[in-house]
Amino acid sequence: MIPGLLEKLGQWFSRSWMFMCFFAGFFLFWEYSIGWFDVPRYILPRPTEIITKSAADIDRLLYYTWVTGSESFTGYIIAIVIAVPLGLAIAFSSILRRTIYPFFVSVEMVPKIAFAPLFISWLGFGFLPKIIIVFLVCFFPIVLNAILAFSSLSEELTRFCSATGATRTRAFLKVRLPAALPQCFVGFKYGAINATVGATIAEFIGSDQGLGFYIQIVTGNMRPDLAFAAIFMLTALGLFLFGLVTLAERLLVPWHISQRRNK
Amino acid sequence: MTAAVDIQSVTKVFNEGAAAVAAFGPGDLRVEAGEFVSLLGPSGCGKSTLLLMVAGLLESSSGAITVKGRRVSGPRTDIGIMFQDSTLVPWRTVRGNIELQLELRNLDVRGYEDRIRSLLQQVNLEDFAASAPYELSGGMRQRAAFCQALVHDPDTLLLDEPLGKLDAMTRESIRRDLQNLWLDKKQTVLLVTHSIEEAVQLSNRVVVISPRPGRIEKILEIDLPWPRDLATKNSSRFSEYVMEIQLIFQRYGVI
Repeated sequence: MIPGLLEKLGQWFSRSWMFMCFFAGFFLFWEYSIGWFDVPRYILPRPTEIITKSAADIDRLLYYTWVTGSESFTGYIIAIVIAVPLGLAIAFSSILRRTIYPFFVSVEMVPKIAFAPLFISWLGFGFLPKIIIVFLVCFFPIVLNAILAFSSLSEELTRFCSATGATRTRAFLKVRLPAALPQCFVGFKYGAINATVGATIAEFIGSDQGLGFYIQIVTGNMRPDLAFAAIFMLTALGLFLFGLVTLAERLLVPWHISQRRNK
Repeated sequence: MTAAVDIQSVTKVFNEGAAAVAAFGPGDLRVEAGEFVSLLGPSGCGKSTLLLMVAGLLESSSGAITVKGRRVSGPRTDIGIMFQDSTLVPWRTVRGNIELQLELRNLDVRGYEDRIRSLLQQVNLEDFAASAPYELSGGMRQRAAFCQALVHDPDTLLLDEPLGKLDAMTRESIRRDLQNLWLDKKQTVLLVTHSIEEAVQLSNRVVVISPRPGRIEKILEIDLPWPRDLATKNSSRFSEYVMEIQLIFQRYGVI
């Protein structure tokens, strides 16, 4: 087991060492250029300062990460749960395709974030308006990709299914659904990226907790070090969510061209 | 005796009014049980359209088609079809893809284990049953697709240019496999192809179809001994058949 693990680590390292060097170089440049260019620390702190200074406030940072994280996650999951069946219905119903579908396509052009102040004024500072805003920014990419996924089975496979006399349910479960998964995941990934953006902006507009709220407060207090600490937390949150989706994709669609590993 | 496939004054027109495009016909053709018949013509001549109409996957504009004495009025499930593009799905192995045909038909896969094994053996894929389609070469994929189309043991086979996208050498070797599969079971086969050689080598009869709109120009009886191997293809009678068909297409300016 240990040699296997070491081998895997080795493979991982050989794939990503260039990226890691670049990443380290970026932070080293940041750390030292602050001194070279004499940047005041109330404008831009050093990475090491961000870490040491924010350690004092770690409890609040962690709690707010939890708050923003649960807003993002809840809104995102609700978006998936509603968007996928709806996308399926639109793909199969000619009436919905001619009514709701063009409506969704036009709403996709509206910056959903513009609704955020309205929701806050209607529903207050609590959890609910945040979830609705996260839902809005996640829902459209997921539903549009789901419609595309369920309506783009190749002509050959469609004919193949009819030639076998398979019932609609059977053809759906055995052919249509698995064939649609890769395109569905395109939407899930867009949604995962949008989720933390939606939650943060919702918190900017009206909130008494969460990382978005925190960034506004500490920036007002001339503490960019703490703002950066919150941004790092948000980045970690986004990566975590995106990582979950990628993991699910690897488990559910290991056969897709983007997931294949050279054997 | 009723014909295996009977095509009577069938036409196909796509679109209506001013935009109407005559794709095929009118055409008549009678295929007897156990016969291997090729529909040969240049691309766009409506031969694939005719095949889809026989399968009941496309409605004819006029005329009637019967398969095994029953009028075709919707997708026929009692036949085997191979389409131009592969119907192998990437999320299943070669064996899984063959089983997909059975599962979609609600047949018990366990009852077909021997059948699947012998089909894979016949096309030299027995060592690749557990491979994914994308791990195979184009020729191997097409062989797997044959097994998928044949596994439920249909007595009528409709093949739509199954070898169209393969290189010349692979095509040669799969033609041999196809011939052996047919000689073994003597299904009724309708093969759509644009290769004159392929049609002459594999068929009892070659139906030559003229370009746009497709009409049955001539039906040639190919009187050559079976199995038809490379020696047959080098014979002068084989060349005569090929020449005769080439002259027809030359008249149409196709070649």
